[in-house]
Amino acid sequence: MSDVLKELEGILNITLPGNLVEGVTKVEEGHFDVMCNVTNAFDLMKILREDAGIYHLSTISGVEKDDEFNVCYHIQHRIEDEFKEVPINLIITKIDKNKPKTPSMLEFFVAADYYEREIYDFYGIYFENHPFLQRLILPERWPDDVKPMRKEYGWEQIKEITMKITKEGLEEAK
Amino acid sequence: MKKVLVMGGEALKNHAKGPVTKHVLKRIAENPPPEDIRTIPRIIEDRCIMCGTCVKVCPTHCIEIEKDNKDNGMIWLLKPQCMWCGHCQTYCPVDAIHIDRDPNLSVSLFSFNIHQDYEMLVAKGSYKGDVADKKLSDLIEAGGKKIKEVEEFRG
Amino acid sequence: MTEQYRSRFRTLTDGSDAPPGADHHIFIGPQHPWAEEPAHFIIHLKGERVVEADIRIGFNLRGIEKAMENKTWRQNTMLIPRACGICSAVHQNVYVRLAEKLAGIEDQISERAKLIRMFSLEAERIHSHILWYGILAHDAGFDTMLHVTWRDREIILDIVEDFSGNRVNPALMLIGGVKRDIPKEKADRAQPMLDKLIKQVEYHKKVFTEEASIRNRLEDVGILTKEDAKKVTPNGPTGRGSGLPFDVRKATPYELYDKIDWNLVYYTEGDILATTMVRLDETLESLQMCKQILYQLESTQGELLARVKQKIPEGNYFARGEAPRGEDVHYGIANGTDTPERYKIRAPSLGNIDATLKRMDGEYVADMPVILRSYDPCFSCTNRVMVINEVTGEKMILNQDEFARKAIKAKKYNRPFF
Repeated sequence: MSDVLKELEGILNITLPGNLVEGVTKVEEGHFDVMCNVTNAFDLMKILREDAGIYHLSTISGVEKDDEFNVCYHIQHRIEDEFKEVPINLIITKIDKNKPKTPSMLEFFVAADYYEREIYDFYGIYFENHPFLQRLILPERWPDDVKPMRKEYGWEQIKEITMKITKEGLEEAK
Repeated sequence: MKKVLVMGGEALKNHAKGPVTKHVLKRIAENPPPEDIRTIPRIIEDRCIMCGTCVKVCPTHCIEIEKDNKDNGMIWLLKPQCMWCGHCQTYCPVDAIHIDRDPNLSVSLFSFNIHQDYEMLVAKGSYKGDVADKKLSDLIEAGGKKIKEVEEFRG
Repeated sequence: MTEQYRSRFRTLTDGSDAPPGADHHIFIGPQHPWAEEPAHFIIHLKGERVVEADIRIGFNLRGIEKAMENKTWRQNTMLIPRACGICSAVHQNVYVRLAEKLAGIEDQISERAKLIRMFSLEAERIHSHILWYGILAHDAGFDTMLHVTWRDREIILDIVEDFSGNRVNPALMLIGGVKRDIPKEKADRAQPMLDKLIKQVEYHKKVFTEEASIRNRLEDVGILTKEDAKKVTPNGPTGRGSGLPFDVRKATPYELYDKIDWNLVYYTEGDILATTMVRLDETLESLQMCKQILYQLESTQGELLARVKQKIPEGNYFARGEAPRGEDVHYGIANGTDTPERYKIRAPSLGNIDATLKRMDGEYVADMPVILRSYDPCFSCTNRVMVINEVTGEKMILNQDEFARKAIKAKKYNRPFF
């Protein structure tokens, strides 16, 4: 793992302290995966944003595993003279399943605002220090405690809830 | 630099030709739809081994199969739900399906409870005859129930 | 920064949380037939100028990511291109490349299959751009350009129908290759049609750069500078019109894009005329690429479909593609069975909304239809616009055509809008 870490440090021109990074893998030529813990996530993102100069955030995705949640930030390092990009996936692991919490990255990326609200809508992960964490995509009458993308809800259950909401809407319109 | 009336020549030319609705019938006759447009699948009876791969591969779940442990069985197709994608032909292991061109399919109105909406692709052995007719009436009844549920929901 | 930050994506739309300095607000309602997301815009005004603009999304949620977890990898190949009406080939291409990389067969795809896939992608880009600048001319008040460009768009739709049987969703790709072949007679029939279309698109470019009535409407309107663009991160032609020269086909090349010669297009002015010129030049580049692909197809042989097993081993991968509207991002995780464990899609328009709303700060109300069209969504004709005057409480309802006509008259005679 340490020579992949050295290659990544060479491309970005910075030094990553070893206690913040849990693991680095190389997916293919010019494409890296970086794993880190919930407690170290904010400091690592600060180094990547301010020292290395990464400013483009593509999207944020949430994953549910058996005993934890993972949140993955997909950022791109841009080299303007050669028109090239280096994709980096930053995976934050070990988010507790009973009370999921993780720090919000709104200070570094303006676009993190709506992607984090979408994950809060679908999975229930709470982002600390976010000034406006409210519903983004789900319809108005959807019940607040049903988080659709979790594995406990099957397709039939979600269909029932949708039909119930539509019937209520039709009744009110009459 | 900015000029005015750049499109003047083209506008006058099109005005002299007349409205397009006069020419459109001739243009449709000159460009018929291509010869190899594909619609629903058909199965060659001698080659089918009743493996069930075409059922597992269909994206809209419109092929049904009923069979027993020997070599008998039948396969039915719901025509309104078939999206003409051709996966059953690509993944059949013995090459028994070919995609046919049925030009009348675009003018009928599908409603799930008339007998033209269901097509029996193949029936082998003891499943020919009476069993196939009973299956057709079962399917028409199930289609009628689905339509009644939708009407009830709309109120 | 987090304390003074005001989010532009709202939840409820009574307009009660207005920014300081605004008099009244306008709604533009949620009815789009084929865009990626229908949206509800709330625009806060002071007199004639816009103070800020907000948006509310979520009207077209279909649950595709949840539905994909119940179907197998082979069945999902036909569900994915229905995520968008006009970018359908690019979604299917990114999905198929991701599944091939996870299955480990990405170097068994033959060159002939890759060339046929690239032709389908470039034909879709030409079709989408010609459609877009026709509707932009209609919104700016120049109706002749709409009819002329949509007449020329029928040429490329005839070519796509000949090759795949369908005008809009070709869906030619499978995991491991393509479904259909392009024989020599069809390629010979398509070459003179492509030549005719090149001459017509050069005529369209001459009209957009020289005609005074379109240029007055588009020049120096809605400027987005390069420093602002680095903060709000647009992607695709919206970003390339402001001086950020990044395109997925050149930055991380896929298929055979590094073996064909083509140029990267970008402008630095940052107004709406720059994004229009980016898309016009890209159409001409795509037409040259299509001619090269058809010429190379005559001398390349190869099988069309490689063998793939039903179960895909464990792993995760992140793949991108260049849609006509921007950067299309997929992230997939497999777990050894024949259904995917988690699949995430981000359509390209979602990343451009913030940049477009920032363009509207300080502009006139009458410039709004043109700016809202510039990131490539589509409003339907049954839109309703309701104007509420907060001081006297009177309401006035306009629909889409009246709104556009009033805007055109206000700009032409230099008169106030109301």
